Amino acid sequence: MRGPLLALIAAASLFAQGPPGPPQPPRTAKAAAPVDFTGYWVSPVMEDWRWRMVTPLKGDFASVPLNGEAYKVGMAWDPAKDEAAGLACKAYGAPALMRIPGRLHITWKDDNTLQIETDAGTQTRLFHFNAKAPASEPASWQGYSAANWERPVRGEGDPLNGAIPIFSTRTGVRGKALEVVTTHLRAGYLRKNGVPYSEATELEEFYDYRTAPNGDPWFTVTTVVHDPRYLNVPFITSTDFKRQRDASGWNPTPCSAQ
Amino acid sequence: MLCPMRRPLRSAGDLVAGCFLFATALVLVSPAHAQVDFTGEWSPAYHEDGPERLPGPELGDYMGMPINDNARLRADSYDADRISVVPEYECRPHSSDYGMRGLGDLRVTREINPATQELTAFHTYMPAWGSERTIYMDGRPHPPAYMAHTWQGFSTGVWDGNTLVITTTHLKANYLRRNGIPSSDKRTVTEYWTRHRDYLTVVTYVDDPVILTEPLVRSQNWTLDPGQKTLRFLCEYQPEVPAAPGAVPNHLPGTNTFLHEVANWYGLPYEATRGGAKTLYPEYRNTMPKPEKPAPAKCERFCVCTVLLDCNLHAVPPR
Repeated sequence: MRGPLLALIAAASLFAQGPPGPPQPPRTAKAAAPVDFTGYWVSPVMEDWRWRMVTPLKGDFASVPLNGEAYKVGMAWDPAKDEAAGLACKAYGAPALMRIPGRLHITWKDDNTLQIETDAGTQTRLFHFNAKAPASEPASWQGYSAANWERPVRGEGDPLNGAIPIFSTRTGVRGKALEVVTTHLRAGYLRKNGVPYSEATELEEFYDYRTAPNGDPWFTVTTVVHDPRYLNVPFITSTDFKRQRDASGWNPTPCSAQ
Repeated sequence: MLCPMRRPLRSAGDLVAGCFLFATALVLVSPAHAQVDFTGEWSPAYHEDGPERLPGPELGDYMGMPINDNARLRADSYDADRISVVPEYECRPHSSDYGMRGLGDLRVTREINPATQELTAFHTYMPAWGSERTIYMDGRPHPPAYMAHTWQGFSTGVWDGNTLVITTTHLKANYLRRNGIPSSDKRTVTEYWTRHRDYLTVVTYVDDPVILTEPLVRSQNWTLDPGQKTLRFLCEYQPEVPAAPGAVPNHLPGTNTFLHEVANWYGLPYEATRGGAKTLYPEYRNTMPKPEKPAPAKCERFCVCTVLLDCNLHAVPPR
C-alpha cells in the first residue's frame, strides 16, 4: 500500500504547492500584521473597579493568588517610603500597567518594534519581533518584550492544504492575535497597594483584536503573570480596550505611589 | 484500498490520476472544520472581582456598571432575603451571560454531524444551577422575537479567524450582578471566545437598552483542567428565614439603609459606588468626590479571596 500512498501524497503535494517562485525577503512584523493595533485606546473600567480606579486599602489583596510571603510583603507596604526612595513607579511595571486606568497610544517604532505608550505613569513598552533579549539586558519596570503574531494552530498548518481529506488536517487558520513574552523585569507591584511581584516574574500576554456589534474596534489583552516567588498559581486577568478616534483624553501624568 | 477504482489500472499514472480526482472530489464536499477546539473541562480563574463572584457582591456595590437611573432604583430595592424566602428566586438559574462571570466551572463539548463531519454545535455545562447551553454552528437563523425566552437564550456562533463569535438572544430577565442589578429580556449578548495554549478567554458584550447606557464589556478567564469533574446541581425550595406567606422582601425607594456600607467599608466615595458610565473612564478620578467617612487603616472584609475556600469574611493570611 505504501507505493500508491506516496504517489497520492506526491501528486496532492504538487497540486497544493504550485510551482516554486523566486525567494522572497522575510516580511517585517509591520508588513505581516494581521490587524492594526495602532492608535489611541481607552479601557472603560468595568472590572476590578475597587482595585483599579482607587488605591485599595492596605491588605486588600482579593483575587490575587498570592502566597504567605507575598502577604507579609504586602502588609508592609509604605507608599511614602516608596516615593522617598524614588520607587513611585513600582505599580506601573509591565505586569500591572495594562490594568491601570488610562489611555494607550500604540505606534510602530520601526518595522519590527511595536511601541505602547501609556499616559498613566508616562511609561513606554516596546514589543520586539523576531528578537530575543540581549544577554546584558538590565532589569527594568517594562522589562524586555519578545513578540510574534499568532501562529496557526498546532504551528505547522496543513502542509497539503486539505488536498487529501482521508487524513485529518491541521486547521492552519492564521490567528489575529499578538503574543508577547516579557522578562528582565524589575520587582514591582501587581496593585498599587503593594501586592508584590519579584524579579523572577515572567509575563505572557495575548492581544486579541475584534470589532464590536456596533462597529467599534476593541482589543482584549489576556495577561498571565508567572512568579514562582510570590504567587501560588499564575495570576490571570484580561483587560478590554476600545479604540478612540483621536487623542481625546490623553493626559500624561507621572507615576504616583499614593 | 485508498482509492475507489471502477476499471483495471493500466499504469501508475492511472493510479495517481484516479486518486487525485477522488481526492479533489472529496475536497469539494469537505466540511468547514472548527478553527479552534474549545472542548474540555475548564477551571475558572477568579482573579478579577473574586469577592463578587465567589461569596457574592456587597449590597449597593454598583461599581463599574454603566447602569441607568431606573436600573439603579430597582437595584436599591433589592433585599437579599428575597433568595431565602421567595421560591421563584431561591433556585433562580444564572443566565448564560451572568453565568460566564459568576461561578464558572465549565465543560465544553461539541457535536459533529457523522455524515459530513461538520461541527454543528458546541454544548456547555456549568454546574452552577445546572446550566446547559447549546451554541449552534450550523448557520441556522435566530427565531422570531415572539418565541420563548429562556435562561440560556438562543445562541449561534460563527468564526472570525480563530475567535468564536457567539450571539445570544431570547434571554429571560436575570441580573448583571447578583446584588439586585437587573438585566432585561431585551438584551443581546455577544461573546468572543479565544484560546491561547491552555487559557480560555471569553469576552462578554452585553447590550441592554433597558438597563445600560452603554454596553457592558467584561472578560473572563479559564485554564484547561482535565482533572475537573463537574457535578450535578441540586437546589431545594425551602424557606430559610421567617417570612409572611407571599412576602417579597424589598426596600421602598429611599428606605434602604445599607447602601452606604460598601463605600464606608472600603474607603470609597459613595457616588462612585453608584455606578454609571461616567465612573468608568480614567478622567473620573479627577472629579471623584472624597469618601464620606475616613478610610479604614486596612481592609477588613474579604481581603484575601481567589477560590471559594479561601474567600473568608475576615482575612486569613495565605500559606
